[in-house]
Amino acid sequence: MTGQAPGAGGTIGQATGAAGATTGTSGPLDQPVASMRKLTIAEFTNSIHDLLGSNAPVPAQLEPDQQLDGFRSVSASLVAVSPTGVSQYETAIDGAVKYAFSSAAQAATVLTCVPASATDTACPVSQVLGAFGRRAFRRTLTAADVTRYTSVATDIAKDPGSSILIGLQYAVSAILQSPEFLYRVELGAPSAADGGRTKYTDFEMASRLASLLWVSVPDDALMNAAASGSLSTQAGVLAQAKTMLASPKAHQSMANFANDLYGMDPSSGTPLTTTFKDPAFYPNWTKTLPVAMQQELLMRVDDVAFTGDYLSLYDSATVFVNNELAKIYGLPQATPDAFRKVTLPAGSPRVGLLGAGAILASNGLPQRTSPTLRGRFVAQQLLCKTVPDPPPNVNTTVLDMLPAGASVKQTLEAHRQSAACAACHAMMDPVGLGLENFDSVGTYRMTDHNVPIDASGVLDGMAFQDEASLARVLRSHPQAASCFVGKLYEQAQGRQPLEVDQPVVAGLSQQFEAGGHRADQLLLAIVSSDAYRFVEIVTK
Amino acid sequence: MSRAVIPRRTVLRGVLAGGIGVAIPLPRLAGMLNGNGTAYAGGAALPLRYGTWFFGNGINPPEWVPTTTGVGNAWTLSAPLMPLLPVKSYLQVITGLTNKIPPDPAHKGRPAAALTGANAGPTDVQLPSIDQVLAPILNAGSMPALPNGLHVGISNTSGAGALDLRVSFRGPNASNPPEYDPENVFKQLVMFGRGSTGPTTGPAGPNPELARRKRVLDAVLDDAAALRSRLGKADQVRLDQHLDGVHQIENQIAILSAMPTTPTTTSAKLVDPAVTYPNMGAVGSITALRSKAMSDLIVFALATDITRVFSFMFTCSACHGSYADAGLDPVTFHEDYGHRKSPKGLDYATKGFLTGVTYAMTNFNNTLTAMMNCADGAGNLLDNSVVYSTSCTSESQTHSGNDYPTLVAGKAGGLLKTDQHIRMVNVPPGTTGAPNGENQSKVPYTLLTCLGRPQGAWGLGDSQVSAGLPQMLA
Repeated sequence: MTGQAPGAGGTIGQATGAAGATTGTSGPLDQPVASMRKLTIAEFTNSIHDLLGSNAPVPAQLEPDQQLDGFRSVSASLVAVSPTGVSQYETAIDGAVKYAFSSAAQAATVLTCVPASATDTACPVSQVLGAFGRRAFRRTLTAADVTRYTSVATDIAKDPGSSILIGLQYAVSAILQSPEFLYRVELGAPSAADGGRTKYTDFEMASRLASLLWVSVPDDALMNAAASGSLSTQAGVLAQAKTMLASPKAHQSMANFANDLYGMDPSSGTPLTTTFKDPAFYPNWTKTLPVAMQQELLMRVDDVAFTGDYLSLYDSATVFVNNELAKIYGLPQATPDAFRKVTLPAGSPRVGLLGAGAILASNGLPQRTSPTLRGRFVAQQLLCKTVPDPPPNVNTTVLDMLPAGASVKQTLEAHRQSAACAACHAMMDPVGLGLENFDSVGTYRMTDHNVPIDASGVLDGMAFQDEASLARVLRSHPQAASCFVGKLYEQAQGRQPLEVDQPVVAGLSQQFEAGGHRADQLLLAIVSSDAYRFVEIVTK
Repeated sequence: MSRAVIPRRTVLRGVLAGGIGVAIPLPRLAGMLNGNGTAYAGGAALPLRYGTWFFGNGINPPEWVPTTTGVGNAWTLSAPLMPLLPVKSYLQVITGLTNKIPPDPAHKGRPAAALTGANAGPTDVQLPSIDQVLAPILNAGSMPALPNGLHVGISNTSGAGALDLRVSFRGPNASNPPEYDPENVFKQLVMFGRGSTGPTTGPAGPNPELARRKRVLDAVLDDAAALRSRLGKADQVRLDQHLDGVHQIENQIAILSAMPTTPTTTSAKLVDPAVTYPNMGAVGSITALRSKAMSDLIVFALATDITRVFSFMFTCSACHGSYADAGLDPVTFHEDYGHRKSPKGLDYATKGFLTGVTYAMTNFNNTLTAMMNCADGAGNLLDNSVVYSTSCTSESQTHSGNDYPTLVAGKAGGLLKTDQHIRMVNVPPGTTGAPNGENQSKVPYTLLTCLGRPQGAWGLGDSQVSAGLPQMLA
């Protein structure tokens, strides 16, 4: 059961890692391959809350998500859960169903009706479990499925001192411990109406939509739409997606995406959650500050994602602060201390996304800034440049010649004197140095080691003087829009992009530009695209 | 058969709410062993155990490599290895080894090679790690509660994606992530380790909770069988890996259902780490006390045969955590000391790096000494174990693969030689390690075959080997 043969668990060297119906040779895939997707922790938690009640307890003790290519959703199509992770699912689900079935009244909020006995004909056990299972499995249960879970309920109900409520509790636990709940099974099927192309079925489309737009399972209305066949057309998908985006649950979609894109999730390379600062240097770095910073970033995203131009995030004067964050941003305190929307004064040196504490602090070191990390963030996450990892046998001894107390800028200039380092660091450091007016926590400053900060620089031929002008340069950067589109597309598809995706992303980018950079409209365009509805992509 | 089985949650509440440590006896009783304690009375040999003890950020070869070679008094420990003095008689230091694969990217390929015998692939490792190859071999004929091992970690600060906080791999994209919270490990072990001395207020006869969990899992397996037929080959493998976990729970239920009811006595104790180490620090922080707490738990799990395999990730590949507990500045050890970028200068950083490596070895010694102090048959746990320690690079500034850090502790039931320094190249310790050394994979290969893996090529590409180091064997 352990120590599988070499090669088990995924096919290395393929973009999606899933073997099977590839279109030919063993090289890089020409076409995507459908694959089972493990629920991320966010999807699991939201699904449990949607199925068992928003107060159902979900412990933090779950197998950590991983990222591939910067996204949990991409990793989710490759990874297998460890035995410990399976045990953690059992414990988590056990606790949540105990809560949901703690009384008949509580169970009534979860089930279509609560059977009074194993033989209740007005509210049959099989019907109740069939309805619950349909949402959990994101498909209609087969007769064998219904029999399987009904017999769990009725068998356990027969135990001395047991009841049908207890039986139902365990049947629901079994449904939720099934891989058909814990993984999204979206494999597609040949569609006769589409010339035999492999297409996601209606129920699979419901699952895909719920995962992307709600980070959860479908509700009954969405499942009914799937059952009626209305998700097999582009218009049908678009109509459902519009309805879904109008739900409060849709705010999860962009928050979930932003947590990956902006490095907030614990699975990120430099997550804010484990960022630490030396208290001797930064006494203002408390346990609560990074939490407030992450919340602020998500509020900023939410503020622009559903109503305005998404790229205004890059140079907006809008921030959200509580009192602790207000101190970092140099804004007044308020009573009561609650998060509030504030417009920074005209001429503020802090502007837009790159002035957000979450970005500045997570891309920093414990005692000093890291223009390299900050620059890499801009290059990789916002402009989609390929920043290679440090080369083999990277040698950092070039820095040994520096005097003690050298400024960060002096250090980096020494760095770039080495030809081996310069190629990549030239992509990162100058932009990062544009943020030097903010210390490693994100507080504004004028000097570093008593040397006045010169934050001017050039980004791809566009000059900037400081963070505020860098922010405007970034927003007008020719790659800014298409990079954002490519990232959201990759996250939505849950796989690394292939060559066949390029024209799709180009088309979506054109729409995004023409429509005034609306992220919510982009989501609609993605989910209703052929590339999202079909497993195989046909380039026109 | 009538059993007094306590619902496990009742036991946990009793233990945890009271905050009092409970001493729990070894289920493997002295009476079950033969006259001289070297095997079970029935003749079966005592189980052998394997552990990987991993520390990130490498070493400084000229400091690391002992200046003398040989056995026993012929060799002495180097400065960073000095904390291992209490277990020197169980130690083998092998130097002059080169990690053969290119470190591309740094801190990823090299640890992958040292742990799996192969470079990392584009998404993950390509092969299972040594502990996972050994688990089914060491478990042969038995099914411990944690058959694929107990996997713990001290620092939860990542190495910016180097190997994603993991050192144990069942295969590509199928890792065993470490548990960082000693309390969670304790809760897991107390379930199986309570043996016979738990409170005796539970209902006699079969435990309905265990039977119901089993009924649920049977339905899950039945459902999965139907799902499996719809999946492609790669997804079938992933599903089977998931079901390994379901089978493990079923086995645990069987173990819990058959817990002995008569009290026993032993020296192995399970104590709530919050009681023993109240000041051990926050989950994920690097402290010697947290490392001691984890070591105690591992020793208990090995001694009571809850598992025969462990991985201990002190810090991950290229760990960006802080070694403040070692007296260093609260900075990223990787950046300021590993790469000597401390603003306080090169000398300061170089000395601090030595302090950090020495500190890692202090913590390694804590694990080994705890094992040595735990009786096992006629000897102790280290007599019947192998612990392999390595890192993600050799020289930390240049990411060199030369003079790769490689330590082996334990006698493997008498199969391994101990108290020796073997140098595989005829080159004195240099500034960046001896180039063109023997393939580092030969050490894990030696351990694999010594513990029962059939001879034959292990690994892939530049790291692949087909022979070990006979000098290591008794």
